[in-house]
Amino acid sequence: MSSSASRSNSSSPPTSPKNGNGRHKAVFAAGRPPWYTRDGAVKDAFMISCAGGSASGKTTVAQAIISRLNVPWVAVISMDSFYRNLTPEQIAAANRNDHDFDCPEAFDIDLVYESLKKIKKGQPVDIPVYDFTTHSRRPEKQVIYGANVVVFEGIFGLYDERINELMDLRIFVDTDDDVRLARRLKRDISERGRDINGVIEQYNRFVKPSYDNYIRPAIKNAHVIIPRGGDNYIAIDLIAKHIQHQLETRGFNFRQELGRISPCSKLPDTIKVMESRPQLRAMHTLIRNRDTPRDDFVFYSERLFRLLIEEALSHLPFTPCDIVTPTGGTYHGVHSVSNISAVSIVRAGTTIEPAAQAVLKDVKIGKILIQSDIYTNEPQLHFCSLPRSIASSQVLLMDATIATGAAALMAIRVLLDHNVPEENIIFVSLIAAPHGLHTIAAAHPKVTVVVSEVDETLNEAYHIIPGVGNFGDRFFGTD
Amino acid sequence: MVSFWSLPLFGALHRCGAGSLLTTHLQSGPESSARSASPSEPAFPDAPSTLHVMKSTMQLRGLMTIIRDRSTSRADFVFYADRVIRLLIEEGLNFLPFREHTVITPTDSSYEGLAFTGRVCGVSIMRAGEAMEKALRECCRSIRVGKILIQRDESTAQPKLFYAKLPPDIADRHVLLLDPMLATGGSAIKAVEVLIEQGVPEDRIIFINLVAAPEGVLAFSKRFPHTHIITAEVDDSLSTSKHIMPGLGDFGCRYFGTDE
Repeated sequence: MSSSASRSNSSSPPTSPKNGNGRHKAVFAAGRPPWYTRDGAVKDAFMISCAGGSASGKTTVAQAIISRLNVPWVAVISMDSFYRNLTPEQIAAANRNDHDFDCPEAFDIDLVYESLKKIKKGQPVDIPVYDFTTHSRRPEKQVIYGANVVVFEGIFGLYDERINELMDLRIFVDTDDDVRLARRLKRDISERGRDINGVIEQYNRFVKPSYDNYIRPAIKNAHVIIPRGGDNYIAIDLIAKHIQHQLETRGFNFRQELGRISPCSKLPDTIKVMESRPQLRAMHTLIRNRDTPRDDFVFYSERLFRLLIEEALSHLPFTPCDIVTPTGGTYHGVHSVSNISAVSIVRAGTTIEPAAQAVLKDVKIGKILIQSDIYTNEPQLHFCSLPRSIASSQVLLMDATIATGAAALMAIRVLLDHNVPEENIIFVSLIAAPHGLHTIAAAHPKVTVVVSEVDETLNEAYHIIPGVGNFGDRFFGTD
Repeated sequence: MVSFWSLPLFGALHRCGAGSLLTTHLQSGPESSARSASPSEPAFPDAPSTLHVMKSTMQLRGLMTIIRDRSTSRADFVFYADRVIRLLIEEGLNFLPFREHTVITPTDSSYEGLAFTGRVCGVSIMRAGEAMEKALRECCRSIRVGKILIQRDESTAQPKLFYAKLPPDIADRHVLLLDPMLATGGSAIKAVEVLIEQGVPEDRIIFINLVAAPEGVLAFSKRFPHTHIITAEVDDSLSTSKHIMPGLGDFGCRYFGTDE
C-alpha cells in the first residue's frame, strides 16, 4: 500500500482476503488449536499492545516477538488502520503538510476499542483499510478471525484506559528522540520523496508535541519498557518466553479430555435420533459392512443423507398458514423459514452437501476445514468460508460422524463466533458415539443434533464402535 | 418466528385424519418395527389396519402445504412433489420382508443389522403414477417397472383396463404399486385385480399413494384386506364430483403441465 502521508499501514492478520470477495474467508498456514474450553466457553485471545513514538521500532518489535513465538495464529493490528476519514478541507491541509496526524483525535479510538474487544472474544472483526493517498477508508475491509494472540501496535497503543484494560501485556518501545528523528527524516525523504523542510516542520509542529504530551506520558501504563527498540534482542527474547509460557498454561489436551467423558445412559433432549425402521437399519448394515463395495457404500450413504436432511429440516421453525387447493378446499398447512444455510465440516461433511442441495434449491453452503493434528490428535481449524448472511440464517452443520465431538465443538464455536445464535444451529450426522453427543449437549445445550444412529462407544484410538470406519476415506476412495 | 415445540396443538388444528397420527407416533418407541409402526389409533373412524399414514412432521406438513396450494408454480409443484414421493418410497420400502443380518465393520466390531429378502418391482398406474417412478429408481437402482393404463369406460362409468406391460416374473416379486391419488379407489382396485391375475399374491402388493380419501381407503381395503396402503395424508372426504377434498387438484395435469 503506497502512502504519501506520515505513516504506513502494517496490519498482517492470519487472514488472506485481499478484496471484497475474500470476505469471511480465512486460511491458516497451520491449524488453529481449540480456543475454547470443554464447556464451550471462549478462551480469550492473548492481547499485547505495543506503543512508542513515531519511528521508535514498534512494528519491528511486534514482528520480532511474533517470529520468536513461532505460532501462525497471530494477528497484528496497526492503529494506522483506524485513522478517521478526512473532510475535503482536511485533505487539502494534509496535502500541504498542515494536518495533524499525530494527535489522539486523528484516530477513531472508539472503533479501535470495539474491534479489539471482539477480537479478544474470538469473534471475527472487520478492520478498516485506510488509504493514505485519499485519506479515507477504502470500501473493502479486512476480516480478522482466528487469532489466539493479538498484537496491537500504534503511537497511542497505551493511551486509552479501556484499551489498556483489554491487554494482557503492555509494551512501550523507548527509543531516543534523535534516533527517531533521524529515522523519520530518512524514511520520509528517501522513501517517500518529501523535502527536508516539510518533514522537519511537521515534526516540530505535530510529531514532537504529541510525543511529549500524549505518547511519552502513557509509559506509566506499560508493563515492560524496551529501550532501543527492535535491536534489543534480549528484551524481545524475554518477552517472547513470557508469552509462550502464558500460552502453554492456557492450553490442555483437548481431545483426550473429551474422550474421557463417561457417557451417562440417557441422551439429552436436544439429541434427536431417527426412528429405527427396517429400511434405515438395512442401509446402515450395508454401509457399516467392511466388505461393501465402494459404489454401494456411496449409493446407500447418499440415500441415508437424504433422509437425514429431511429429518433435520423438521426441527426448523414453522408457522401455521391456510391455503386454498385447486379444488377450492382449504388446507390448514404450515410454512417453514426460508433462510437456511448448510455448513459442512470438510472432508466427510461435504458428502452431505448434495442431499442438502437436492432438498433446498438455492441453499448457501459454507465450509469449515478441521483436521486432527497427526501427533497430538488435537482438532485444528485450517480454513473457514461462510455465507455473509450466516448470522441471520438457520444453519445445518454437517459432518458424517461424531466421535469425541471435538471437531463438532470447534465448528459450532466458529458459527457462534460469527454471531449465529446457538438455537439456530442443527448439527446433522449419520453416526455418533454417545461421548460426542454428551459433549456437544453439555457445551451447547441449545444446539439440536440430528443423527440416524447412535453407536455403543469409542475405542482407545477414539474410533466409533462398531462405527463405519473412516467415512471420508471410504466415500472418496482414499483408503 | 414460532418454534416447532411451541405448537403442540397442530395435530388438533389439522382436521384431516392424518393429524391425529402425531400423537400415535410419539408413543411408538425407536425399536418399533415396520408392522407395528402402523397407527394404533385409526387415521379416521373404521380405518383399516393395512393403512399406514406417514408420521405428520412439520416438515411433511410444510411440503404438503406447498403442493396443495393452487397458487404454487409448476416448477415448485414438481420439485416438492418429488421430495414427498421420495419420502413415501423410502417409507414404503419398510414393508418389504427382512431378516437379521450381522456384519463386521472396518473397526473389526460386529453390527447387528438387517437385510432385505425377496425380489421387488414397481408398477405405476398411468399417468400420474409414472411421476413416482423417478423416486423409486433413485432408491432402487435398475428396478424393473411395469405400467398399467386404466380409463373410465364412458358407457358403464366403470374403470376399464386399456394397457398393461408387466415384468414376466412378476408373480415371484413384491410389487410396489404407484398412484399418487386415491379417490374412489376404482383404478387402484382394477390395477390390483390385474396383478392378482398375473399371479401376485394380494399380501405381496404395497400400494404407495400421496393423498387418500377415506372413501377410497375403505373401498380398497374392503376388496383387498391384505394389501398395505402407504400414504402421506388422508383427507376429509370426496366431493359430490368425486374429487378429494381438500386434495391437490389433478396430480397428473399439474405434474406433467398438461393443464396449461
